[in-house]
Amino acid sequence: MPPQPSPTSLSWSERPGDLPRDLADRRALDSLLAEQFPEAGGRLSTLRGGRDAAETTLSLIDPRRYTKSRNHLKGAVTGLSPYIRHGVLSLAEVRNAVFQRIRSRDEGSKLINELGWRDFWQRMWRDLGDGIHDSQEELKTGHDPASYARELPEDIRAGRTGLACMDGFQSELTTRGWLHNHARMWMAAYVVHWRKVHWKAGADWFLEHLLDGDPSSNHLSWQWVASSFSHKPYFFNKGNLERFSDGQFCRSCSSSERCPFEGSYEQLESQLFASQGSIRDVPNRRSRNHQQRSGRQQELKGSGQAAMARPKR
Amino acid sequence: MSLQRPVIWVHEEALGSSNPALLERPNSPALFVFDTHWIQEAHISRKRLGFLYESALDLPITLRKGDVVKEVIAFAERHNADGVLSSLPVDPRLERIAVSIESHCPLELLEPEPFVTMPRPPRLGRFSRYWREAEPVVWEGF
Repeated sequence: MPPQPSPTSLSWSERPGDLPRDLADRRALDSLLAEQFPEAGGRLSTLRGGRDAAETTLSLIDPRRYTKSRNHLKGAVTGLSPYIRHGVLSLAEVRNAVFQRIRSRDEGSKLINELGWRDFWQRMWRDLGDGIHDSQEELKTGHDPASYARELPEDIRAGRTGLACMDGFQSELTTRGWLHNHARMWMAAYVVHWRKVHWKAGADWFLEHLLDGDPSSNHLSWQWVASSFSHKPYFFNKGNLERFSDGQFCRSCSSSERCPFEGSYEQLESQLFASQGSIRDVPNRRSRNHQQRSGRQQELKGSGQAAMARPKR
Repeated sequence: MSLQRPVIWVHEEALGSSNPALLERPNSPALFVFDTHWIQEAHISRKRLGFLYESALDLPITLRKGDVVKEVIAFAERHNADGVLSSLPVDPRLERIAVSIESHCPLELLEPEPFVTMPRPPRLGRFSRYWREAEPVVWEGF
């Protein structure tokens, strides 16, 4: 394993109980964490924390390719979210880096827009506080909220659903700690709509693993999929997943003959939701934290079955 | 800033060199605490802790684990500080920790550099509404 970069030295003395700053390599860090935090499962990610890794990642951003390919799993997404989330890079710093790489506003507008989403989620979190943990509105799926399972099924958690796509996403999530946004949306839709699991069970599971682990973005996006923070539930079909994943899962999927995502959007809508008519007619009823708080309302009209994870992005 | 001998509490939202508290007082003793209560309650995985640890190692800060409030107070006493300086958090969990620290000793929170400074608070009802107001201001910097 590559060595850890030389730690910054301190100008004050250490005391018993201070955690070590001088670690030979990542294996030593892995062992230290296993010893100090035995309850924290798994291993280190291949993605590294720290300023050097952040700057390397930042140096690779390509706003023009991002504009064209961001919805594809192999597209030119930035991978900056863990560094931004933990303040290793500031949004302002990333914004300036984008400005330096583009010749016109058109070349950078999608990526700047994406940074705007991060700022928006932060503002929403300030606004809603702990309210992000509660459903913001009634579901538009026609199902009783109590009918959704409160626990994540073991086959999903363990990556043994038999669906190459979902098991692949589970593997990325639990080993690398990072997922493409489109994969997050597909997986959330599968958990909530196909498996009838409450969004909170899936959202909490994501936060165990995602290095960017941003509760506001994560929880409100799960609610957007579930339809407690949007006008309609988000779902997808096999054609959509196949297209944006370049067929990498479907080719080798042992369940391809009985793919649950096969079908037209009309067929899937009627299969997954109890009452399509109700989707547009349920009044908003937001949960409140300490006071009346605003929230994102009907942001994505008509986007329930759209091909993109967050159609406005 | 009124504090003369502060220690700096670095939290999970500000593990970078643009942390305003570290910029304000680069020579003050600084601390990051792994919040064991949060780690256990939210089942935080080792890879997330590793990411935080590696990020913290790039900063001139002491690393500890345990009850964040107790650790920060003890660190302030260890350095004979007259208060604690930190960056303004967004996470309500960190806000609660800040409130608890403040009940023991003076605390000052500094705002990180914003992504966009709006002439008035934007309406947040939905992203498109927010972005309609924010986007032109963001692009003024281009």
